Amino acid sequence: MSITVELTYDLAKALGSRRLELEGTPTLRQVLTLTRDRFGAEGAAFDRLTRVTALVVNGVIASRTHSLDIPLQAGDRVSFLKAAAGG
Amino acid sequence: MIKGYAGRILDVDLGSRSFAFQPLDENTARLYLGGKGYGTRLLYDLTPAGIDPLGPENPLIFATGPLNGSLAPQSNRFAVVCKSPLTGGIGSAACGGSFAFGLKKAGIDILIVRNQSATPVRLEIDGDRDSVTFLDATDLWGQGTRATQEALGKGRNHAVIGPAGENQVLYAGIVSDERIAGRTGVGAVMGSKRLKAVSVTGTRKLELEDQEKFNDYTKWLRKLFRSHPVLGEKLRRYGTMGIVNTTNARNILPTRNFKYGHHDDAMSVSGEYLEDHGLVGVKSSCIHCPVACGREVAVEGAGRVKGPEYETAALLGPNLEITDLRWVNEWNFLADDLGMDSISLGVTLGFAMELQERGLLQAGLAFGDATGVSDMIQDIAHRRGLGNELADGVKRMSERHGGAAFAMHVKGLELSAYDPRGSYAQGVEYATTNRGGCHVQGASMYFESTGPLTIDPQSLRLKAEIPVVQQNLACAINSMVLCIFTTYGMIPKQVHALDPKSRLYRTITYFFERSGPLYRLLMRLKLAPVTWFEKWLTYITGQTFTSGHLQEIGERIFNLERMYNLREGIGGAEDTLPHRMLHESTFPHLDSGHPLDQLLPRYYEIRGWDPQGVPLQRTLDRLQVRT
Ligand code: SF4
Repeated sequence: MSITVELTYDLAKALGSRRLELEGTPTLRQVLTLTRDRFGAEGAAFDRLTRVTALVVNGVIASRTHSLDIPLQAGDRVSFLKAAAGG
Repeated sequence: MIKGYAGRILDVDLGSRSFAFQPLDENTARLYLGGKGYGTRLLYDLTPAGIDPLGPENPLIFATGPLNGSLAPQSNRFAVVCKSPLTGGIGSAACGGSFAFGLKKAGIDILIVRNQSATPVRLEIDGDRDSVTFLDATDLWGQGTRATQEALGKGRNHAVIGPAGENQVLYAGIVSDERIAGRTGVGAVMGSKRLKAVSVTGTRKLELEDQEKFNDYTKWLRKLFRSHPVLGEKLRRYGTMGIVNTTNARNILPTRNFKYGHHDDAMSVSGEYLEDHGLVGVKSSCIHCPVACGREVAVEGAGRVKGPEYETAALLGPNLEITDLRWVNEWNFLADDLGMDSISLGVTLGFAMELQERGLLQAGLAFGDATGVSDMIQDIAHRRGLGNELADGVKRMSERHGGAAFAMHVKGLELSAYDPRGSYAQGVEYATTNRGGCHVQGASMYFESTGPLTIDPQSLRLKAEIPVVQQNLACAINSMVLCIFTTYGMIPKQVHALDPKSRLYRTITYFFERSGPLYRLLMRLKLAPVTWFEKWLTYITGQTFTSGHLQEIGERIFNLERMYNLREGIGGAEDTLPHRMLHESTFPHLDSGHPLDQLLPRYYEIRGWDPQGVPLQRTLDRLQVRT
């Protein structure tokens, strides 16, 4: 079992992949670091693209339920969330 | 007459082929503005309880409001009001396009169409000559909404139905240009009258109380809109489909007939994906709108057509386990051209697929398989074969075939594409909205799930308050009549720039969540016009409109709709959500669905209703709702 990280469209476009599979049970902080690492030298692009995003675990905004340092559970889905308007 | 109004109601009788112009009632306009509000007042007064929605006694009311014709951005909508054949209660839908503008230019605030024609008919209204011509429409009968409007020509503004309306599909809509008054089956009522089209022309000028102030303010506002993150940027760039990835991340994107709230491949039907794959153009489709949230896509055999909205992409996409945009584009075009509500269509197809999966129906449809869907959409519009059953919507389907637990409707109206299990205020709004399970009668989800500043969508805090305030506001906006998307502009761009991970963001949402009575109090203040719609109304009519005034007018309209439903036997028992929404969880930390039973009593209390959901007499007296 691993953690699935779902990216925003912009992140996915930059990385050429819509989601990442991370082995083990990393913390949210590690998820952020590991995702940023995928950008290699383009880390600044990651920072820019995630500046106004929330972290969501299984559909719930993470800051409400998770400390950045508590390990996630196997099978969890972490998503980067951007506000939007539809109708 | 109050400025902003043409001052006339056109009353047409299709049975006797006669018409009369009547004066608009100023007092009703003061109490209900126009649009949906005035239309509901008329429906209540003109009809007794228990009429057949598809019979001659159901009037079809097209209603504009004081903002229509003023050239204010997004002021292009008209409301359609009648008894709904889908729900049996209040029927109402709003539509962009250009018909509202045409009506106002013809010097008509409201058009009432009564009775039925024996043969297909269309109307040509000339506001300058005060004439109405009844024309044979046999040659147009059976034509799609696009071909019909092409045949009617460019010099007039049209409202038309397609084959779905002609065949009285219970969720048929009325189309103006490329926009549709989709919900509650208003197109079926037009079809029952054998009224194919209404075309209107005129050159009258609307008089505003303070044209100069209106012009100066609107000029300034257009600039503000252009730099707004939603109105000037996101909606323009991605259309409403730009929300797909957000609802998916939030676990509220209807998937597999709302069994799940997330689809692994949802990104393929998002506005961002469309921008990179097959977007042909960006267009408004609504007159005088600088936002231009419409998309243009190419569909084989049809050419360049209006692309899907979020609701359509979600409900004809992941809700059917389909994520190939080519199919979604094609089915969206079919729904528009045949003239039916793509929300009800998508939910009905999803329901049929689940019935098939459970062995309750042989529909030849399966989740994740596009085979047969295009044909079924045609069959629905023409009421052929099994399509004849799907044309009646999920409530009636479930009464025939079972599956009530997963029939996704409220009061008979199919649910929109925000799963309330992850958006509790939206769930309360769905349950209580008078026309049934719809999102644009408040859009509460913006404050808890999708917007730039969202409170916890799954706590109970503020989940009864937000729907009340938002439903009132939406009633007022649908009576001016403005596009509901105008409310997105109310949150300033500075808020959009806040990082949700920041302490400031968390502090603001913490206090907002706990603001309960204060929030309602602030919204009810009658200090000064603040938002553009308050200012526009003030400059146009010469009367002062504030947030408090709009809350009061909206509350009045909402209560009148409620009284209409009660008169039709639709009461508190119908203020509910589908079993699946109440009892099946889609979140691993929860073992049940939406906690409606914990929120409804508070909602009723705030509304000034009794525990059965009936407005108290003192509430009706306070609001001057005559019954
Ligand atoms: S924002 Fe979109 S739906 Fe609203 S009036 Fe403009 S183009 Fe029409």
